[in-house]
Amino acid sequence: MQRFTPIGFLYLAALLWGAAVSGASPAPDETRHWAFEPLSREAPPHPNAAGWARTIPDLWVLDALEKAGLDPSPEADRVAWLRRVHFDLTGLPPDPQACQAFEQDPRPDAPERVVEALLQSPAHGERWGQHWLDVVRYADTHGFEVNTERPHAWPYRDYVIGAFNADRPYPEFIREQLAGDQSGRDAATGFLVTASVLLPGQIGADEVSKRLARQDALDEIVVNTSQSFLGLSIGCARCHDHKFDPISSRDYFGMQAFFAGVEYGDRPLNDPESQARRDRLRDWRQRKSVVEASLSRMDPIARPGSPTHHPPTRVAVRARMNTDRFVPVTARRLRFTVLRTPSLEPCLDEVEVWSPDGRNVALASAGTRVSSSGDTTVENRHELRFVHDGVYGNSHSWMSSEKGRGWVVLEFPEPRRIDRVSWGRDREGEFADRLATDYRIEVETDTGDWITVADASDRKPFEGANPTDDEREIPLSGLDPKTRQEAQALLAERLRLEREIAGAVASQQAFAGIFRKPDRIHLLRRGDPEQPGPEVAPGVPEVLGSMRLPADAPESERRRALAHWLAQSGQALIARVMVNRIWQGHFGTGLVDTPSDFGRTGSRPSHPGLLDWLAGEFMASGGSSKHLHRLIVLSSTYRQSSRLRPEAAARDADARLLWRYPPRRLDSEPIRDAMLAVSGELDRRRGGRGFDLFDQRGGLSGFKPVESFPPEGLRRMVYAHKVRREPEAVFGAFDCPDAGQSTARRRESTTPIQALNLWNSRFTLERSSAFARRVRHEAGAEPRDQIQRAFRLALARQATGPEEQEALEAVHAQGLEVLCRALFNSNEFLFLP
Amino acid sequence: MNPGPDSLSFQGHGLLDRRGFLGRSATALGSVALTHLLGREGLLGQPGLIADGAHPLRPRAPHHTPRARNVVVIFCAGAVSQLETWDYKPELHRWDDKPMPGGPAVTFQGPAGNLARPQYAFRPRGQTGKMVSDLIPHLAELTDDIAFIHSLTSKSNTHGPAENFLSTGFALDGFPSVGAWIGHALGTENQDLPAFVTLLDPRGVPQNGSNNWGSGFLPATFQGTTWSAQNPVRHLSAPGIGSEADEAARRLLGQLNRRHLEQHPGDEKLAARIASYELAARMQLSVPEISDLSTEPAHVLRAYGADDPRNPIKAGFAKNCILARRLIERGVRFVQLFNGAYASGGELNWDGHNKLKEQYDRHAAILDQPAAALIRDLRQRGLLENTLVVWCTEFGRMPFFQKGAQGRDHNPDGFTCWMTGAGVRRGVSHGVTDELGRAAVHDIHPLYDFNATLLHLLGLDHERLTFEHNGVQRRLTNVEGQVIREILA
Repeated sequence: MQRFTPIGFLYLAALLWGAAVSGASPAPDETRHWAFEPLSREAPPHPNAAGWARTIPDLWVLDALEKAGLDPSPEADRVAWLRRVHFDLTGLPPDPQACQAFEQDPRPDAPERVVEALLQSPAHGERWGQHWLDVVRYADTHGFEVNTERPHAWPYRDYVIGAFNADRPYPEFIREQLAGDQSGRDAATGFLVTASVLLPGQIGADEVSKRLARQDALDEIVVNTSQSFLGLSIGCARCHDHKFDPISSRDYFGMQAFFAGVEYGDRPLNDPESQARRDRLRDWRQRKSVVEASLSRMDPIARPGSPTHHPPTRVAVRARMNTDRFVPVTARRLRFTVLRTPSLEPCLDEVEVWSPDGRNVALASAGTRVSSSGDTTVENRHELRFVHDGVYGNSHSWMSSEKGRGWVVLEFPEPRRIDRVSWGRDREGEFADRLATDYRIEVETDTGDWITVADASDRKPFEGANPTDDEREIPLSGLDPKTRQEAQALLAERLRLEREIAGAVASQQAFAGIFRKPDRIHLLRRGDPEQPGPEVAPGVPEVLGSMRLPADAPESERRRALAHWLAQSGQALIARVMVNRIWQGHFGTGLVDTPSDFGRTGSRPSHPGLLDWLAGEFMASGGSSKHLHRLIVLSSTYRQSSRLRPEAAARDADARLLWRYPPRRLDSEPIRDAMLAVSGELDRRRGGRGFDLFDQRGGLSGFKPVESFPPEGLRRMVYAHKVRREPEAVFGAFDCPDAGQSTARRRESTTPIQALNLWNSRFTLERSSAFARRVRHEAGAEPRDQIQRAFRLALARQATGPEEQEALEAVHAQGLEVLCRALFNSNEFLFLP
Repeated sequence: MNPGPDSLSFQGHGLLDRRGFLGRSATALGSVALTHLLGREGLLGQPGLIADGAHPLRPRAPHHTPRARNVVVIFCAGAVSQLETWDYKPELHRWDDKPMPGGPAVTFQGPAGNLARPQYAFRPRGQTGKMVSDLIPHLAELTDDIAFIHSLTSKSNTHGPAENFLSTGFALDGFPSVGAWIGHALGTENQDLPAFVTLLDPRGVPQNGSNNWGSGFLPATFQGTTWSAQNPVRHLSAPGIGSEADEAARRLLGQLNRRHLEQHPGDEKLAARIASYELAARMQLSVPEISDLSTEPAHVLRAYGADDPRNPIKAGFAKNCILARRLIERGVRFVQLFNGAYASGGELNWDGHNKLKEQYDRHAAILDQPAAALIRDLRQRGLLENTLVVWCTEFGRMPFFQKGAQGRDHNPDGFTCWMTGAGVRRGVSHGVTDELGRAAVHDIHPLYDFNATLLHLLGLDHERLTFEHNGVQRRLTNVEGQVIREILA
């Protein structure tokens, strides 16, 4: 008598189960629904005042207005449109030069030129990519209770931004996100695995928990695919036939079967960019060893056994890397003895022994063998063989069995001419404990004598702290001017190479799904994995098509088949859903105001003919988003003033008929980005790992927000490391989605917390200071000039006489920062004009 | 008196004063009159519709006459063992250290060990003689007023999804929390404070963090504002800015916005944003005033244990309990009070896998006296007439120890939560688990029912409290939920 099942929806399932298992399809009339019908191909209407229209969409809008007895609004002033279109297409405000140039451009096609430039700007993809990332609930963490970092999620974010910038044809955009691994767009399949997921350690050890977790993970892929592309909430049919739409449980599991071989995880990238990156990486690494060889030749020669009163000639030992150079010697064996560590057992990362011509003769691959005083072995982390395997890092290092001491001996296959040794605690710079602060390097010459070639006696004493990376290992002051110059150039080059290498290593893989032999998919009674029904083969929902695959179809074919079916021409629903998203991006509300629900419970379009015309246009253009952007932002509809007209508002308060341009508050990202743009601090570097919004992950106080951002954190917010469910401390309150569930349309709420954040946060105060500095720099010392400049920068207009007077009083009494802070908080700054 | 956008100072000020008067009269009559008044004045919300965009926190009437106006939820993170607290299983003494007949071989964390007796003595309490353990002696004294539900079940045996399920009705991430739903439905009494406040444990955030107080797809207005005696509300003042500079900036902002509004007459969004800055300014004053516990008399601090020098974590939790009372006093709709932090091998929350008794001794010393004092204090001040107090945890624990350990694994199949206060039947125990406490066997209630009951007490019908998201009319209770009528007064 168990009433409760792990999935629920019991009573509906009980009602509908019979129909599902008997294979009965919904009654024919249930399948008829406007969104599933072919496009109407209706000719544009002929409104009376057709002369108002600039683009075809205007005809539909005007026609609807005339039928409702409403007039369109007058055109917005030129700068209002400019500001609107800048925010809209790029998420950034126009700068004063852009405003001035446009105001003074007499050419009739000046607006077209502006739009073209904005569409070509990389900022365009950064803004429109964000809209898509909202829909697919992209984040850089795994979600749920541990919410740990998903360090290689960002290649998908960069893929999306790049796709919008390149105006990737929509069918291709679909195909790549489902099966880009098959067309050289590896990162694109990040789409499949954007959801929260339980990591292996979080799933119960019992089989029931495992099966449920797998079902949940697959469900998220089905939900993402159906909501994003089809605008349908197929997910309900996991537990019962859809209550409103003609989607059965069989349809649902048929969709799930397309993804039955997808696992959440990192996959090495094999696309052409990654191949090229790998080639470059090899070159960089080679070059780096050449640079290091050259640098080490500038090192002072080691003078072992230096008396303690002697002034040290060499730098203190460092955790990352040390070089000991000596007069060339022929050696059979080399012994590295650790004599002291600050604490614990010593750890050696890589010990490299160099020949005068720059070859590392210590490598196991060169035939050298290794022995030691005793090891602390942690499998695949600390093993003796790792001391000369050519791989850097703590996770490939040797640890002694004794505290504070230990030795390794490298035995060369035959006597080698050598002149230097490089070694460190952790060549990747993460760890600084267990460092050999006192040591001795001895070689056995071909005569069989052991001689000491280097030790720590001539080094500066180790002072505990881990020297920073930029501390030079070479005392430059001791070099002649020419050599010093050369050394400086080499050091700079090495720093550059290290950055490039780190970046390239990080982009070797992406959280883009792992593909394996598909699970068998069964229809699950009430969605409960413990109640499997008949096996289900991959297939699309019956109401939408008849594409089916055999139950044993290989993994890659499944995703490819689904991708091609979704992307095929003539999919009216898919085109309608996407053009509606684009329309919504421009006007705040779509023609259908339920952008991810084109099913029966969704709204009907406000302008059905226009929606279908746009969808047809979109398909005819091959799925070009930029084509639609041009049509929309250059239209008379879009150029209307946003001024409220009470008589029109009384009839259509939300302006669904577009009798005005509906004003709206900027989203969280454009507010932050605009503040940085206006203060002159915006860092326009693109792509790569996101900057941190939090100092600390998890732990005692949860996620501790960064209060004062380093320069890296002054990039656009789309490049933030997005922590799922954890709102950014200042801008999260502005309805920034938390990436838990898909956000097809952002809310626009108004709260006192938003006001407190924007008014009092250190972020605002720091931007205000920078803004004030910029203004002083650009406008000089005269307060009136400063005020005018500040208004220009923030609001793209002059201050009026009374405004200037009011600002003057405040600035005079309390400084320019007061005005800057007020401008950042003003309604005019925060709303699209 | 539906104010126009030009009366920006404070919407419905006079009305609120009258509301305050009626509210403080603290009678059922008062709340009927209140509902009537709100209805007559056109301020009744339309349940199921989006709250008034310009004034999202304005009080709205419920679906039916409420039994409770405010809620305090004491949320014990980490899954408190029902067998060491409220669900007395004498049979376990007989079965101590024996394998469970027909029991599972493997549970969440691994192989199951032998059955284990309750780790604390139980004794009858109060008039009802309810058996409660010695782990929580102060709370045990209140059992005559409590309605226990011993037969709750969860959809997940994993902390994160299970905390989601308890707080949002869904095991997945991203759904609105119960406090957000209630703020969305009812608004709040005090327009100088948020509708929903989350008081975090001094030891840290609970396992599933902000999803327990998130707004999901509801407007951000309705998310819980985190606050505690240790960490005050963020951004209440501008660091390094003197009051004169602050005032000058504020004046300038007012002037800028006023002129802008003159250019855009009638635009409610603009007016609402101006109003939000005024509320923010009031919060800058009201929040520090509430946070200042130095005005509490010594005997109150002592009663809560807020002055306990030997146990600073307990003192910290006690301060949060006092804060909870102060927030309720001032008309905050929903206060969520956390006891216990994140996963830590049971060190910082109730997740007693390995050393249950040793850890529970510590955790109970933090919870017991302050939480009991809070309930007593609310009662003494008459606040319990209108305030519902909920004690909950995400699931229970197994009757057997884990193999090789002195603790119990996760058990979502039968566990205990309770309610007391406004509208709750006193001294009742509802629902039964089997004689070993492995699973609920009578009057089984998935947590949907618990949340449905909570909404019911606030005058809300869980089936009518809906919000459309991506084509689905979402509810706190998904498509489930039945009010547990047996615990209603």
